[in-house]
Amino acid sequence: MAYPPALKKLVEALARFPGVGPKTAQRLAFFLLSSPREEVVTIARAMVEAKDRLEFCPACGALCEEGDCSYCADARRDRSMLCIVQEPRDVLVIERSGRYRGLYHVLHGALSPLDGIGPEELKIERFINRVRGQSIVEVIIATNPTVEGDATAGYLAGLLKPLRVKVTRIAFGLPVGGDLEYADDLTLNRAFEGRREIL
Amino acid sequence: MAGRNFKAIGLVLRSRILGESDRLITVLTPDRGKFEAVARGARKTKSKLAAGVDLFTHGSFDFYSGKTWPVLTGQDVIEHFSCFREDYTCYPYGLYLAELVDRLVSGEESNPEIFNLLLDGWKLLGENLDRALLCRAFELKLAHAAGYSPHLDACTGCGMTGNGAFSPRQGGLVCSECRGIDLIRLDPGTLALAKHLLQMPLASSRKVRSTNAQKDQLRRVNTAFLAYHPELGDIKTRKLLDE
Repeated sequence: MAYPPALKKLVEALARFPGVGPKTAQRLAFFLLSSPREEVVTIARAMVEAKDRLEFCPACGALCEEGDCSYCADARRDRSMLCIVQEPRDVLVIERSGRYRGLYHVLHGALSPLDGIGPEELKIERFINRVRGQSIVEVIIATNPTVEGDATAGYLAGLLKPLRVKVTRIAFGLPVGGDLEYADDLTLNRAFEGRREIL
Repeated sequence: MAGRNFKAIGLVLRSRILGESDRLITVLTPDRGKFEAVARGARKTKSKLAAGVDLFTHGSFDFYSGKTWPVLTGQDVIEHFSCFREDYTCYPYGLYLAELVDRLVSGEESNPEIFNLLLDGWKLLGENLDRALLCRAFELKLAHAAGYSPHLDACTGCGMTGNGAFSPRQGGLVCSECRGIDLIRLDPGTLALAKHLLQMPLASSRKVRSTNAQKDQLRRVNTAFLAYHPELGDIKTRKLLDE
């Protein structure tokens, strides 16, 4: 099918998004074409504005707006606790739960030598210096429960040991609403290891 | 459509994020060689596939032949090799064996020998043994299984025995008459060690005694030898092991 040049350009641009193939890109393009001009401008402005205004906090690595990190600057947060996550969006997920009120540190990945990600890429030294320089009492490692996430947790725990801070790993187990019947052995093992008294 | 469904016992060599919540896994099987498959929704916490698509999984998998990749429809984990999760010092060794196999096996060609070798290697890494020596044995046996076995009995050029040098380019021992420029000295003890590791089952590396000098010499020989094969030249995880 011969697209008009402007449409072709739009479809090609939209197809650059992760998980968006040519068909979805075409559908999105036609959605934009059928939308009022103001709405398209609003979407385009939001994208450019987000790109211009958002950056990663140089201290914690979380997303912040124009250098003003809402997590680092919040005086009500518990500054003795530091939660380590892999990605900036993990911070948003933990915040949504409302359970944790400490500080964060975003690694921007997990150790994965096959993908060329080692301690230098994760700026581990900067993280260790941060723990050393602040009055952190507990470091909670909340990397993903994958091999890479677990290996990263083990590696960090080894580095933190001499600093005499309490190092914990978030608990693993059955998802809420899940069925025990479908749980795999490793998840069940970890669920039993992490069991706790209810009375 | 039953013909499009198939089952396979496999080892997960790689697991990459694909799209929003999928994973693209590289599986090594004894009968179908190596192939990639997509596990739809495997990153979601309630996914029934999540537990079986992580790196270092030995499992029984069900697939459906999709358009681009086979689609994983079910999994049953046989072994998780938890040593790679729980012990960071063990992790790079497991990765190294996986990367060697991933590089060497190029497609869907049946090779149960390589499958069993990797399975044994991952199992043994969880034991209290000399992991570096196990890697040397693995390298030699993997090269043998792939048809690149080094010649360790006599000179590769003229067949003369009693040689003390190894030529990575010629893939084996060389005598003083046939030697080129890429020579690595190979002491009798190291040669005997290499022969033993090549011939005996991988598990026998538990009982082998060797000096640090022999292990270092064998590491240099193996690294140079493997580097002559384009698939095995630039192994990313080797740097991590060296560190």
